[in-house]
Amino acid sequence: MQSAGRRAVVDVALQSGTMAEAQQADRRKVLQKLRMSDVIFRVLTRTAAITVLLLLGAIIIALIHGSMPALQTFGFSFLVNESWNPVTEKFGAIAPIYGTVLTSFIAMLIAVPVGLFIAMFLTELCPKWLRRPIGVAIELLAGIPSIIYGIWGLFVFAPFLQQYVQPAIINTLGNVPGIGNLFAGPPYGIGVFTAGLILAIMVLPFITSISRDVFEAVPPVLKEAAYGLGCTTWEVVRYVVLPFTRVGVIGGVMLGLGRALGETMAVTFVIGNAHRIAGSILAPGTTISATIANEFTEAVGDLYTSSLIALGLILFVITFIVLAIARYMLIRLNARVGA
Amino acid sequence: MSSMAAYTVPTVNNAPINVDGLSDKVSVRNLDFFYGDHRALKSINVSLYHGKVTAFIGPSGCGKSTLLRILNRMYDLYPNQKATGEVMLDKDNILSSSQDLNLLRAKVGMVFQKPTPFPMTIFENIAFGIRLYEKLSKSELEGRVQHALQRAALWDEVKDKLGNNGQSLSGGQQQRLCIARTVAVRPEVILFDEPCSALDPISTAKIEELIDELKDDYTIAIVTHNMQQAARVSDFTAFMYLGELVEFGETTKIFTTPTDRRTQDYITGRFG
Amino acid sequence: MATGFVTPLYNKRQRRNTITKFLSLGATTFGLTWLVLILIVLLWEGFSGLSLRVFTEMTPPPGSAGGLLNPIVGSLVMTILAVIIGTPIGMLAGTYMAEYGRYDKLTFFVRFINDILLSAPSIVIGLFIYEVMVAQMGHFSGWAGAVSLAVIVIPVVVRTTEDMLILVPDTLREAAASIGLPRSLMIQRVAYRAARAGMVTGVLLAVARISGETAPLLFTALNNQFWSTNLNAPVSSLPVVIFQFALSPYKDWQSLAWTGALIITFAVLALSITARLLTAQRKTS
Repeated sequence: MQSAGRRAVVDVALQSGTMAEAQQADRRKVLQKLRMSDVIFRVLTRTAAITVLLLLGAIIIALIHGSMPALQTFGFSFLVNESWNPVTEKFGAIAPIYGTVLTSFIAMLIAVPVGLFIAMFLTELCPKWLRRPIGVAIELLAGIPSIIYGIWGLFVFAPFLQQYVQPAIINTLGNVPGIGNLFAGPPYGIGVFTAGLILAIMVLPFITSISRDVFEAVPPVLKEAAYGLGCTTWEVVRYVVLPFTRVGVIGGVMLGLGRALGETMAVTFVIGNAHRIAGSILAPGTTISATIANEFTEAVGDLYTSSLIALGLILFVITFIVLAIARYMLIRLNARVGA
Repeated sequence: MSSMAAYTVPTVNNAPINVDGLSDKVSVRNLDFFYGDHRALKSINVSLYHGKVTAFIGPSGCGKSTLLRILNRMYDLYPNQKATGEVMLDKDNILSSSQDLNLLRAKVGMVFQKPTPFPMTIFENIAFGIRLYEKLSKSELEGRVQHALQRAALWDEVKDKLGNNGQSLSGGQQQRLCIARTVAVRPEVILFDEPCSALDPISTAKIEELIDELKDDYTIAIVTHNMQQAARVSDFTAFMYLGELVEFGETTKIFTTPTDRRTQDYITGRFG
Repeated sequence: MATGFVTPLYNKRQRRNTITKFLSLGATTFGLTWLVLILIVLLWEGFSGLSLRVFTEMTPPPGSAGGLLNPIVGSLVMTILAVIIGTPIGMLAGTYMAEYGRYDKLTFFVRFINDILLSAPSIVIGLFIYEVMVAQMGHFSGWAGAVSLAVIVIPVVVRTTEDMLILVPDTLREAAASIGLPRSLMIQRVAYRAARAGMVTGVLLAVARISGETAPLLFTALNNQFWSTNLNAPVSSLPVVIFQFALSPYKDWQSLAWTGALIITFAVLALSITARLLTAQRKTS
């Protein structure tokens, strides 16, 4: 203790007067040197941030540039034309657009209710020890690359549907007057319906985990108040949880929709690649991404390639709008929860 | 170096202080502070003296931490906060835009309420700051680290485990590590922002002892909501209320014969 | 008195509750069943084709035996390149958003756009790189493939870097500032170190994501039947080979496709588990 005190006195003695001044000057020099690298680092990070914005701009510009020949040749009719003939070089986007929208619609129709119910199970009914494993399982499902869904769909799911499920549907729903045409036709196995189902399984974990996250964010006091009044579990979910999380759930659904619209590999294997709008959903069709994936490397001629890029542009615009709406809703949710 | 200022030693409510032989390290003159449009500090005038401990007391929200954080311009890290007036550190106004902030913060160290060791080894926590400014040989660096830890009364407890992570120490030890880290950079002023409020009574006592040992070599300011601590540790006390400096004077005077009614009410526990 | 509680309305509510409980249990079983089915088939088909040959021999013409050496190597090389290109950009951008520009307008826009890019269809990214690199260069190349993967890596890394840096408490930054540390050093030596586990996790997740991506490679790196170390020419990759082989009518090609799928899934799962372990470690420390 003594020597520490003495050392301290020496320290102070050394510090006062010229020693302190020298120390100041030294420090100033060091800080001068550091200043340059400080500024450089800041500029570097800002540039990187701007690069992200530039990337989006570059994508849009590149797509427009690539689609120019097609858009100039066909104009607006490109959007509504059903023909797709590489030989006569007549291209129209309506069949792929229809397929994209329809498969995504089927996927969401299944994935959203199922996903919400799973989220309800995980947050309200599931025993605590089971929560983590099931959560992990859901994320495993989300992590499986889409090409795996594709080949599984092609070799396992489609044949299964063809043998058992589709004949059943055709024989029952196919005979209902009015909507019967929707379910008509030979059981191909592959087709729009199958693609929609595979997409549903792909999007399901996504919707589930987002819904589960927003459900968990509900303040426990709110739920306890409802339970305290004698509400059943379902009533708590329906009248407390869902209204509270509504914006977040919709945001999550939109995100899932964005994913489904852009999904390529899972759909390409099982959609059948037929450039037409069939009456039945059991028939083969095509989506924008499947068309591009299947035909791009074999496209000859500028107009063909350009038409495919134009398809890509359309897809990008559609998903951009959907994702922008989703982001907007999630921002509103955060603002509300924060406030 | 005694004060050569021509202004009267700032004492609100006219309790004169004997400032003979005291050196005016930090002088705050007409300081206002704004969070956006809200005026959080109103015309503060106070001085901090070398070799002495000045305590800032007052109820929650009175602005004492805000004032402390102006002295090393910590508020500069955040948007929408600004200060007007003058804060003189020796001969420089630290509020001016030409003030080098990093240099200022090397001169004016701060110990925070929550112990925040860096995510590094104990040795690195101290060496980090030293290495920033000085090129030392390995043995010189080790000597400096040891010295800093000794001044913080931590050396004996950690000398065998300098390679352990700083975050593995107990709360009281972490806070002393933070003090060592601050001292290692050789500041001239040390600011303590409620340094003991997250600690147990024994660690608190150790740190108060430490402050007493350190004060001869530094100018120390401490913000505390614990009046007994202020009475134990400080030579001068400033009482703040609603953004104003209500009363300033020698500690014994403030706690025995305060001149302002509000000071008296606070000290006797009427509010806050 | 107590019996007055049990009205027809009460019974109806109870019934509804029971039905929805069963529905939610059923939904969970439904979801898990698919996972099990897919994994079982994947393991079954993939394992049956698995042998040492898969890792040592190159892709064969239909009808002969072979392996997946060149696509595995090609995927590895392009993935590593993509990470090298994309991670610095992503980290620097995320650093700006969390540190220097946390409250400014630029950050708001970048965050918005970045989140859209995060979910953008990867086939469109492939088209973009085709237009910008392949069409300009006149040929397909491994570089184009790597860059298209890098474009997918960037948004992931930006997001995780920003999220992880924001989690670092401000008191730590103030402590660094209080000893006179300039901003850039405070970020590099203190904030990065504190967020290190999270940022590494972000990179791992990005790698997991691009490991399974097929679409962006289809018309950038194309495919290559033979062994090639020339990145300026088409390079084969595992996902594209699986695509080609699975859609073919040849049984041995299809078998190799399953094995390749198993390898990819295994790699993705291993990366995800490692990432999860890292975040768990961080939480306990």
